[in-house]
Amino acid sequence: MKNTGTPGPLLSANDLVKTHGATPALRGASLSLGPGEILAVTGASGSGKSTLLHCMAGIVRPDEGSVTYDGRRLDRLPEKRLSELRRTGFGVVFQFGQLVPELTALDNVALPLLLAGTSRPRAHEQARDWLERFGAHDLAALRPGQMSGGQAQRTALARALITGPKVVFADEPTGALDSLAAEQVMTALARTAREAGTAVLLVTHDARTAAYADREVSLLDGVVVAEDPALEVAP
Amino acid sequence: MTADLRLAWHLVRGSDRHEWWRIALTGVGALLAAALAQGAAVLASVRGHHDFPVAHGLLDAPGERSGVIAALLLLLIPVLGFVGQSARLGAVHRDRRLAGLRLAGATPWQVRRIAAAETGLACLAGSVAAGLLAAVVVARMDGHTSAWTWAGVAAVVLGMPVLGALTAVLVLRRVVASPLGTVRRVRAAPRPESAAFGLVALFLVVLFLSYVGVDAGRGGFSAAPALIVCVLALTGAGAVWLVGASARFTGRLLAARTGSPAVLIAAERLRDDPWAAARTHTVVLLVTVVGTAYTGIRRTLLEVLGSGKDVAGNLDFYTTGIDLTAAAIGVGLVITLAGLAVGTAESVATRRRTLAAQAAAGVPRAVLGRALLLETALPLAPGMLLAGVGGGAIGLWYAALAEGGGWSTSWTPLLVPAAVYTASLLAAATALPLLHRTLRPSELRYA
Amino acid sequence: MSTRHILLGLLATGPSHGYDLKRRHDERFPQARPLAYGQVYTTLQRLVRDGLAEVEGTDSDGGPERTLYHVTEAGARELSRWAAEIAPPAPFVTNEIFAKVVVAILSGGDPAAYLRAQRAAHMRRMRELTAVTSDPGSDLATVLSADFALNHLDADLRWMTTTAARLTTLTAEVDAA
Repeated sequence: MKNTGTPGPLLSANDLVKTHGATPALRGASLSLGPGEILAVTGASGSGKSTLLHCMAGIVRPDEGSVTYDGRRLDRLPEKRLSELRRTGFGVVFQFGQLVPELTALDNVALPLLLAGTSRPRAHEQARDWLERFGAHDLAALRPGQMSGGQAQRTALARALITGPKVVFADEPTGALDSLAAEQVMTALARTAREAGTAVLLVTHDARTAAYADREVSLLDGVVVAEDPALEVAP
Repeated sequence: MTADLRLAWHLVRGSDRHEWWRIALTGVGALLAAALAQGAAVLASVRGHHDFPVAHGLLDAPGERSGVIAALLLLLIPVLGFVGQSARLGAVHRDRRLAGLRLAGATPWQVRRIAAAETGLACLAGSVAAGLLAAVVVARMDGHTSAWTWAGVAAVVLGMPVLGALTAVLVLRRVVASPLGTVRRVRAAPRPESAAFGLVALFLVVLFLSYVGVDAGRGGFSAAPALIVCVLALTGAGAVWLVGASARFTGRLLAARTGSPAVLIAAERLRDDPWAAARTHTVVLLVTVVGTAYTGIRRTLLEVLGSGKDVAGNLDFYTTGIDLTAAAIGVGLVITLAGLAVGTAESVATRRRTLAAQAAAGVPRAVLGRALLLETALPLAPGMLLAGVGGGAIGLWYAALAEGGGWSTSWTPLLVPAAVYTASLLAAATALPLLHRTLRPSELRYA
Repeated sequence: MSTRHILLGLLATGPSHGYDLKRRHDERFPQARPLAYGQVYTTLQRLVRDGLAEVEGTDSDGGPERTLYHVTEAGARELSRWAAEIAPPAPFVTNEIFAKVVVAILSGGDPAAYLRAQRAAHMRRMRELTAVTSDPGSDLATVLSADFALNHLDADLRWMTTTAARLTTLTAEVDAA
C-alpha cells in the first residue's frame, strides 16, 4: 500500500534516540511517512510521541539516528534552513497555543505568507479562502482569546495548510476539544489533506482521532512497537 | 503564622527560576529604596550648621541639605518603577499558585499572609543590608548625629518590609477575590484606574517635592525649583497619557497597514495592551525630561558662574552640586533602564509557550526578536520627542530667567533624548538571549 | 434488539407490505445488518398472531400478490410502551473479548498478542466507520449510526488498552484460582 509506494517514503526517521535531561524519550524509533499518507502515532503519555514528532518536523535534533526528508538529512540542516522548511514545506498544529494571541484569525492565517514576503492584501485574500475551507470565514476578525477551542484549531489548520505544505505535523490537535469539535476539526483536516495530497503525521492518544488516519503505529517506551499487520504489504 | 511561613518557604523553594529572579530583584529594589530613604532620613535628622568633610560644603547648611534630600526622594521614583517591574516577574505563576491554594481550601487571609511573607522577607533582606550600610556611615558621622538619626534608619529598615508586604497584599486582591478566574487565565479587562492611580500618586509626590523645593530655594533663583518640579510633573503626566495613547494609535495605524510580520506582531500587541507600554516607559520619559532639562540648566549655571557675578564663596561648592546632580540623574537612568530590561524580560517569560510554538511553526527568531524591540521602540518614540521638547523648554526658560545668562542656543540638551532612546533599545535588547532560550522546543511542554 | 418493535414502528407510519418494510428498514438503519425477507414475513405473522397488527387486504399492482398490514390499537400501545422503556444499561458483565483473554491465559496462549490483533481489527473497523462519518455525501442518520458504533468500539479499545497493561496481574490471579 502507500507506505511502500515506488518513490519511497517522503519523510523517514531511522533509529532515533533522544534524551531530555536524564529521561530517555526515544530509544531507537524508526518510522516512515509516504507522500499524501495520513499516519497516526498513538501511545500512552510519556511514550515519546511528541518527541518523535518534534524530531521529524525538525523542531528538535535527535541525539542519534537520522531524519530524511525528500532525500535530505533534516538533522544536519542549519537552524535557518530548518525554520524556512517548517514555514514552507511543513505545517504544524499543536494542542493549543500556536496562534499569536494578539493577531486576528485572518492575520494569523496570513502570517506564513507575510513571512515569505507576500503583500498583505494578497495574503489576506488567500487567508480568507483558507478560513472558508475550514468553515471559519466568520472568525476572520476574532482574536484567539475570543474563539472556542474548535474555532482556534480550525484557524490553526488553515494556517498550517496555507503554504501548501508537503507534510502537516499535528500534535494532539483535538486534545483540548469536546467530541463534536474534535470531529469537525479532524474531518476538516483529513478531507483537506487528502484533497491537497498533503501527508499528515498525527500524534494522538485518542483512538477516535487516530481512526482518521490511513495507518496507525504505536509507541511504547520510546520505540515503535505495533503496526497493524494487515496493512503491511507482503513482499 | 509559623505554618504559613513554612508553607511560603516550601512554595518558593519549589518554584521556578523566574520567581527567584523576582525575589532577588525585589530585594535589590528594597535595598536601593531603603538606602535612598535612609540617606534622606539621616540628612533630615541633622539640625543647623555642621562642617561635613565631604561634598565641598554642600551638606553644611540646612538649605542645601533639603535640596539634597529632595534629590534623594526624587530618585525614589525610578527605584519604585524598577520595583514595580520586578514584582511582575513570574507573577503569573505566583498568582496561579496562590489561586490553587485558595481552591485547595486556604482562607483568603492565609493566602495574603503567604504572599506578604514572601515579599516582606525579600524586602527585609534588602532593607537590612541598606541599614548596615547606613549604620557604618552614621557611626562615622560622630558629633553631627542625634537619636533621631538612628530612629530614622531603624524606621526605614522596619518600614520597608511592611510597605512591601502591604503592596503584595494589595496586588493580590484579584486572586483572593476570584481564584478560579486566575487559574483559568481569563484575560483581565484593561484597568485604566491603575494608570489614574499612578498619575495621582505622581502629583502628590511632586506637590510635596515642590513644597520642599520652595523651602530649599532661598538662593539666587528662588521661585525656580518649584516651577521646575511643576513643569516636570505636567510633562510626566503628559508622558503617561502620550505613551498610552500613541501606543494605541501607532498600534492601530500600523496593524492596519504594515506588510512586515515583525511590525504587525508588535503593533497588534501595542493595540491590545497600550497601558503596558505606558507602565514601562513613563519613568524612562521622566528621567529624559529631567536629564534634558538638567543639561540646559547646567549650561546656564556654568555660564553664570563663569561670568563671576552673583557668586559667593568658592566655585567648587557650586560645581560639586552640579556634578552630584548629574550623578543622581545618571543613577536614576541606570535604575530606570534596569527596570525596562526587567519589564521586557517579564513580557518574554510570560509568553514563553506561545513564543516557542511560533518558533516551532517556523516563525524565524529574527522576526520575533525584531517584534520585541519594536514593542519598545514604537511607543517610546513620540514620548521621547515630547520629553525632549519639555526638558528643552525648561532649560531654555531657566536660561531666560537667569540674569545675564541670556538665551542659550545650545542644541546639546537635545542629544539627551536620543541617547536615552538608544540606551532604552539596548536595555530591551538584553531580553534577546532570554527570548532565544525561550524558543527552545522544550518550552512547548509548559502550559 | 427487537426486530418486532422496529417493524411495528415502521408500520405505524401507514399500511405497508413486507417488501416495502424491509426496504425502509435497510434505508433507515444503514449500519444495522440488513433484514432477510423471510425474517420480515415471520415477524409480521407473529405480530398478527399476538393481535398487534392486522391484515388490511391484498393488492397486486400488476405484479405478484402482496399482503398489506396495519397496526392495531393494541399494537400502538405496545409500541409506545416499548419506545419509552429504557434499555438496560450495561447488560453484559462479561463479553467475548474478556472471555477470550481469560481462556488464552487458562490454555497457556498469548493473551497480549490476541489483544493486539483485536485492537488492530477494531482500529480497521473504526477507520472504515470514520470514512463514512467524514464523507461529505453521508446524511445525518448514517453519520449518527456510524458514530454510535465508533463510540462503542472506542470504549472496547480503551478497555483493551487498560487490560493489556494489567495482564501480568490478571494472569497471576487466573492461574492462582
